[in-house]
Amino acid sequence: MARCIRMLLLSCLMTLLLTSCWSSQEIENLALYSGLALDVGEPAPIEKEFEAKGATYPKQNKVMATVQIVPVKTIGTNSQKQQDQKKPYINISGSGDSILEIFRQFSIRLDQPIIGHHLKVIVVSAELLKQQPIGNVMDFLLRDNDIRPSTMVFVSQGSAKATMESNIASEVPSFHIMGMLRNRSRTSKVLKPVTLSRLDSLIYSERSFMLQNLVTGGEEVELSGAGIIKGSSGKWIGTLNQTDTQCLAWIRNEGTAGTIKVNEGNNNVITYELEDMKSKVTPKVDGDDISFHVELSTEGRIIEVWNDQAPSSSHLNEEEVSQLIKKQLKDMTEESIRKLQKKYQTDVAGFGNRLAIKYPSVWRKVKDRWDEVFSDSEVTFSYELQITDFGSFIED
Amino acid sequence: MSTMIEYIPDWSTWGMAGIALLVPILGHLLYQKVYHFIGTGTHLHDAAPTTPSEPSSEAGNTFSGNYDKDLCYIQDKLGANSDVCFREFTLHQLGVRGTLLYVDGMQNDRLLQLKIMTFLMYEATAEKLASPSTDEAGLPFLQLQEASNLDGFNHAILFGHFGLLIEGMPIGLLIEQPDARNRPILEPLSEALLRGPRVGFTEILSENTSMLRRQGMSDQLEITSYRVGTRMQRDLVLAYMKDLVNPDLLKEVQTRIERMDMDFFAESGYVEQLIEDNYLSPFQQVQNTERPDRVINALMEGRVAILLDGTPFALIVPATFSMLLQSPEDYYERWLPSSLLRIMRFGAAFLALMAPALYISFISFHPGLIPTELAISIIETRQGVPFPSLIEVLILEVAIEILREAGIRLPKPIGPAMGIVGGLIIGDAAVQAGIVSPFLVIVVAVTAISSFSIPTYSAGITLRMLRFIGMVFAAVLGIFGTILFFLLLCSHLSKLKSFGVPYLTPITPFRMRDWKDLFFRAPLSLMKRRPAMMKTQQNKRKS
Amino acid sequence: MFTRTDDKITTSQAVVFLTNTVLGAGILTMPRSITKAMQTPDAWIAILLGGLLIMPVILIMVKLCQQFPGQTIFQFSGRIIGHIPAKLVCLLLIFYFLVIGGFEIRVLAEVTLFFLLESTPMWAIVLPFIWAGTYLVSGGINAIARVYQVVFPITIFVLLLSYGVSLRLFDINHLRPVLGEGFLPIFAGLKSSILIYAGCEVVLTIVAFMQHPGQAVKAMLGGIAIPFGLYLLTAIVVIGGLSIDTVITSTWPTLDLIRSFEVTGFFVERLEFPLMVIWLMQMFCNFCSFFYQASLGISQLFKLSIQPVIFALVPVIFLSAMAAKSIQDIFAVGDAIGMMSIGLFLLVTVPLLLIWLLRKKGDQIHG
Repeated sequence: MARCIRMLLLSCLMTLLLTSCWSSQEIENLALYSGLALDVGEPAPIEKEFEAKGATYPKQNKVMATVQIVPVKTIGTNSQKQQDQKKPYINISGSGDSILEIFRQFSIRLDQPIIGHHLKVIVVSAELLKQQPIGNVMDFLLRDNDIRPSTMVFVSQGSAKATMESNIASEVPSFHIMGMLRNRSRTSKVLKPVTLSRLDSLIYSERSFMLQNLVTGGEEVELSGAGIIKGSSGKWIGTLNQTDTQCLAWIRNEGTAGTIKVNEGNNNVITYELEDMKSKVTPKVDGDDISFHVELSTEGRIIEVWNDQAPSSSHLNEEEVSQLIKKQLKDMTEESIRKLQKKYQTDVAGFGNRLAIKYPSVWRKVKDRWDEVFSDSEVTFSYELQITDFGSFIED
Repeated sequence: MSTMIEYIPDWSTWGMAGIALLVPILGHLLYQKVYHFIGTGTHLHDAAPTTPSEPSSEAGNTFSGNYDKDLCYIQDKLGANSDVCFREFTLHQLGVRGTLLYVDGMQNDRLLQLKIMTFLMYEATAEKLASPSTDEAGLPFLQLQEASNLDGFNHAILFGHFGLLIEGMPIGLLIEQPDARNRPILEPLSEALLRGPRVGFTEILSENTSMLRRQGMSDQLEITSYRVGTRMQRDLVLAYMKDLVNPDLLKEVQTRIERMDMDFFAESGYVEQLIEDNYLSPFQQVQNTERPDRVINALMEGRVAILLDGTPFALIVPATFSMLLQSPEDYYERWLPSSLLRIMRFGAAFLALMAPALYISFISFHPGLIPTELAISIIETRQGVPFPSLIEVLILEVAIEILREAGIRLPKPIGPAMGIVGGLIIGDAAVQAGIVSPFLVIVVAVTAISSFSIPTYSAGITLRMLRFIGMVFAAVLGIFGTILFFLLLCSHLSKLKSFGVPYLTPITPFRMRDWKDLFFRAPLSLMKRRPAMMKTQQNKRKS
Repeated sequence: MFTRTDDKITTSQAVVFLTNTVLGAGILTMPRSITKAMQTPDAWIAILLGGLLIMPVILIMVKLCQQFPGQTIFQFSGRIIGHIPAKLVCLLLIFYFLVIGGFEIRVLAEVTLFFLLESTPMWAIVLPFIWAGTYLVSGGINAIARVYQVVFPITIFVLLLSYGVSLRLFDINHLRPVLGEGFLPIFAGLKSSILIYAGCEVVLTIVAFMQHPGQAVKAMLGGIAIPFGLYLLTAIVVIGGLSIDTVITSTWPTLDLIRSFEVTGFFVERLEFPLMVIWLMQMFCNFCSFFYQASLGISQLFKLSIQPVIFALVPVIFLSAMAAKSIQDIFAVGDAIGMMSIGLFLLVTVPLLLIWLLRKKGDQIHG
C-alpha cells in the first residue's frame, strides 16, 4: 500500500516536472523592439481602417506609440535568404491613452509577443511633450521590468515616427541613432545621452533638463540642438540650437571636442579645434543675491584658415587669434545664457547642482523656485585659451 | 487579529507545504534504500579477509611421496585441460622417473627449456635433489619453490610455473616464473603527453612494479602484496613511500582492500568501485592512470597507489577534484605556460559542463541577458528551426556522444575520418536541413572540444553525464535552474570525501599552502612543502 | 587524525560563514532603504556609523560565547537563566531565524519572478530552492561552510567587477554635498543601516563550532567587516552612479545601476546577468545559514536528531516565505526583522551576559 502511494506521488512529481517550463519562450518566437517613438495621439492609417470596420475599444487618442521590431521574420533558412531583402525592420503603430494598453493591442495584431529587453532608443515628439508632462508619458517605461534603464531618450522636432524610418536598406534606424551618439568624441554638439535611469531622477526631482533633439529630413536623421523640458510642469518649452548645445555642454563640463569658427572680415574664416575643454562653475551667495562665475578653459589648435589677402602664413598672430576666438566664445556663451535666463527661464546648465553642493542651506531655500531665481541671478564668464599648435604648419 | 488571519495562506499553499515536506523525505528514503541495496554487495558485508589461507592442513592433498599416486592425482585434476603438458622423462644419473608439468604458452624461453631438460635428464644427482633450495648443493634454478601441497602445486602450474615431480620425493618443485608473451611497453594511449616519459604500464604486475622501482633509487618505496578474488585470485600491490604516507591513510586503504569481496577482479575498475567512499556520486573518488610518472608523483605527495595484475591502469588514492584537471606535463613544462594551460583547462571543464545549459537558458528564457546584436543574429539563424532549444540541443549532443562512442570502437585508420564525416557533414547538413541552428553547432562543438581537453578520461565522462542533467535543469527553470544545478553540484562536492580527504580541498577547506598547485602551478622553487591535505609524515620537499 | 570526524570549522570558514550569512537581500535594496530614510546622499556615512556600532555588538556576542567553549547558545543559555526561560528565549531566536530564512527566499523569488522568470508560479521557484538547501544543510556545518568557501570568492570577484565597470556612470557630484543637511538625517538613516546586519546572531552558534575558539574575536569581526566594506562600497557606487533621486524611486537600486549601462563589445554586454547569478548563489548561502541555525536550535533544545528536524522545518520555511502577500508586506517584514534583530540583542544577548557576569561575581564572592 505504502509503496503504491509512493509511486503515485512520484509519478505526480514527474508529470509536474514534465509540464513545467512555464516561462520558456524560444527567442525566435519573440519580437524584439529596438526603438520606440511616441507621438501625439492620432490613429495610424491602418488603425483607421480597423476602426472603420468597427474593430475598436474604448480609448482616447492621447498618444501614438510606434515600435520598431527587428529582425524581420523570414521563411526558410538564412542560406536561402533573398538578396533583394527589404528593410530589416518593421514599424508598427497604435494609438490610445495607455502605453501598456497599446502594447497589448499589438498582441492582437502580431503573431509574436513583443519584448522590450533590447529597447535602445525612445524618441518622444516635442508636440506630445507640449500636451503631456513627460512624467506621464514615460511612466510605464520607467516601471516596466523588461525595459532596461540604459535605454536612451530623445526628443524630436516634428514626428517621432519619422525618425524610425530610413531609406538605406539593411540599416535599422534605432541602431543608427545609437551609433550617432558615438560621435560625441568628435563634437560637443551631441549631449551626453539621457538614459531612463537619469530621466527617472530628473523627473522625480522636478528639475528642468535638456533632451537631445532629433530632426528628420529626407528620411535622414540629424542630432540637432536640445529640447528643454521645464521641471515644474514636465512639458516641452522650446529648443536650443546647436551652438547653444555646445556651450551648455561645455558649461556642464560634458564636452570633449568640437570646433569654434571665427568669421573675420567677409571671407576670412579661422577654425579652432577644441582638443580639451573644461569648465568650472563657482556659485557666489551674497545675502539673497546668487551669482555664478564660469571659468571656461580650452586647449586646441588652429586647423583651418581661409584668407583672401595673402598666403596663410601672413599675419596670423597667436595673440590676435586667441583674442578673436575668445570674443567669438564670449558671444556664443552669453547668447546661450541669455536665452536660458530670459527666453526660457530655466536652468538646464547645472548651475543649481553647483549651488546645492556649495551652499546646501541656500539651495534648500530656493530649491522650489529655482528656475525663477536662476533667471535673475548674474552669470559671469572668464575664458582661458591655449593654442597648442597650428596643425602641420608653422606659424609665427 | 483579523489581519493575522488574513495572512494565513490558503489551502493550496498548505498542500504545497505538504509536498515540500514529502519530497525531501522521499528523496532521503530513496537514497538510503538505494545506498543499502548497493551496499549489501560490498561494504556492509564484513567478509573475512579475502586472502583465504591455503588449505594446507587437509591431509588428502599433501604429497604422498608415492610418485604414481601423486601423478595420478594431478592428472585426475588437470588432465582434462588440453593445454597442460606432461613431459615424462628419466633422470639418468639416478635412474628414477620424473615428470615436468607446464601450461603450453606460459614458458617461452626455448633455450631455458632445453637447459632444464638437459640438467634434469643428465646432471641431476641425488644430493642436489635431496635439498633443492639450499645454497651449497641446490638445483641451479633462479626461481625455485617447494610445494608441499598438491592443490597449491596444481594452481601454480596452471598459473604458468614449471612443475617438477620426481619419483621418491614427497614434494613438488616449482621452477621459473610464468613468462607468458607480453606486449611491448608502449606510450600510454589514454594519457598522451608531448613532454614527459613515454612509458605506460603494461598488463604484467611485476613489470609495472619494476617500472615504479626504476623511477628512482629509494629504500622508502614500499610495495606490499595482496591476493584478491575469491574464485580466481590475482595479485594486487599497494605502493607508497614509507616515510611519507600518513599511517592512518595507509591503514584505511589496507582495510578497504581487505574488505573487498568479489570472485574475480577483471580490471582495476573493480577495485576502484569496491573501495570508493560514495558509489552514488557521479564523481570518481579514485584516480586511475597508466603513467608510472604520475603514480610516482602522487606517491611523493604522500598518496597510495594500487596496482592490479592484468591491467595497465593503476589507482591513486585519495583523489581530489583538482587532480582530475591536472596533467603531469604541468610540472615538466615551465611554470608560466603550465599555469596558463591549467587555468584554461578549468575554463574548459566549466564550458563542457555548462555551455549547453547556458545556451538553453538564454535562448528559451532570458533573451534580455544577451547582447542585442547577438540576440538578433541568433534570431536570424534560428528562423525555421522547428524545435525548442532543449530538443535541439539534445539532438546534436546525443549525436556527438554517439559519434564519440563510435569513434573509440572504430579501427584506427577510420577513426579520424569518422570524426570528420560526423562532425562536419552531419553538423552542416543539420543546419542546412533547418533542424538545428548554426549557433548551436558552435556551442556543441565548443562543448565537445572542451571536454576533450580534460586530461583524465573518466572525469570527462562524469562531466558529459552531468551536462545532460544541467540541460534539464535549464530547460525547466532557465538560468535559475542552472544556478540551482551548480549549487547542488557544489553541495554534493563539498559533502564528498575520498578516503577522508574532502573532495574539494584545497579550495575548501581552504589551504592557502596548496593553492600554489591548484589553478596555478607555482615555480618549483616555491613548492617547498608537500600538500597539506595529505598530512604527510615529512612536510618538506627540499632539504 | 587523518580522517576528521569532529564537526569543526576552520577560522577562515568561520569568517566566510558570517559574511555569507549577513550579506543577503540587503545588497540590492539597502541603498534605497537608507536613502529613503535620509533624503540626502550621505548614506555611506550612515553605513560607516552603523558598521562601527555593530562591531561592539559582535564583540559582546563572541565574549558571551567564549565563556562556554564548544557550546551554542541553545546549550548554554539554560546554564545561565534556567531551563524554562532559556527555552523561551531560544524559541524566540529560532522563530527569528525561520522568519528571516523565509524572508530571504521570498525576496529571491520576487527578484527572480520580476527579472528572470516572469510567468513561472512562485512555488516553482521557492520549492526547488528549499530542497537544494535541505540537501546542503543535511550535510552539517562543514559542508555548508565549504560551499560558502566556494561561492564567496566568486561573489566578491563578480561584485567588484560589476562595480568597477559601473564606475563609468559614477559622478562624485551625486554624492555631494557631504553632510549638506547636518547630522540629523544620519540618525534617521542609522536605523536602516543597522538593519542590514540582521542575521549576525549566528555568531552565537558558530563560535561553538570553531576549531580554534581563541581566534573567534578576530574571525567574527573579520566576518562582519567584509559585508560592512561591501555595503559601504555598494552605497557609494550606487548613489554615485544613479543619484539619490533614482535610488529612492527604484525597488532594486543596485540592479538598476548595473542595468543602466551596456558594455558594448564585451561578451557579457549586460552585467546584470553575472550579478544576478552571484546574488542568487549568495541568497542560497544566506538561506542555508538560517535554515541550519533554526534546525540546529530545535535539535539541541529538544535533544532531537537533526535530520528529521531539517525535514520538518521545510514546510515551515515554505509557509513563512509564502505568507506575505505583496512586495510592501515583504519590505515590512524586512523592517520587522531588523527590529527583531535589535530586540533580540537587547533581550537575549545583553541580559544573558549580564546575568552570567553577576552569577560569576556571586560565585567568586561566595567561593
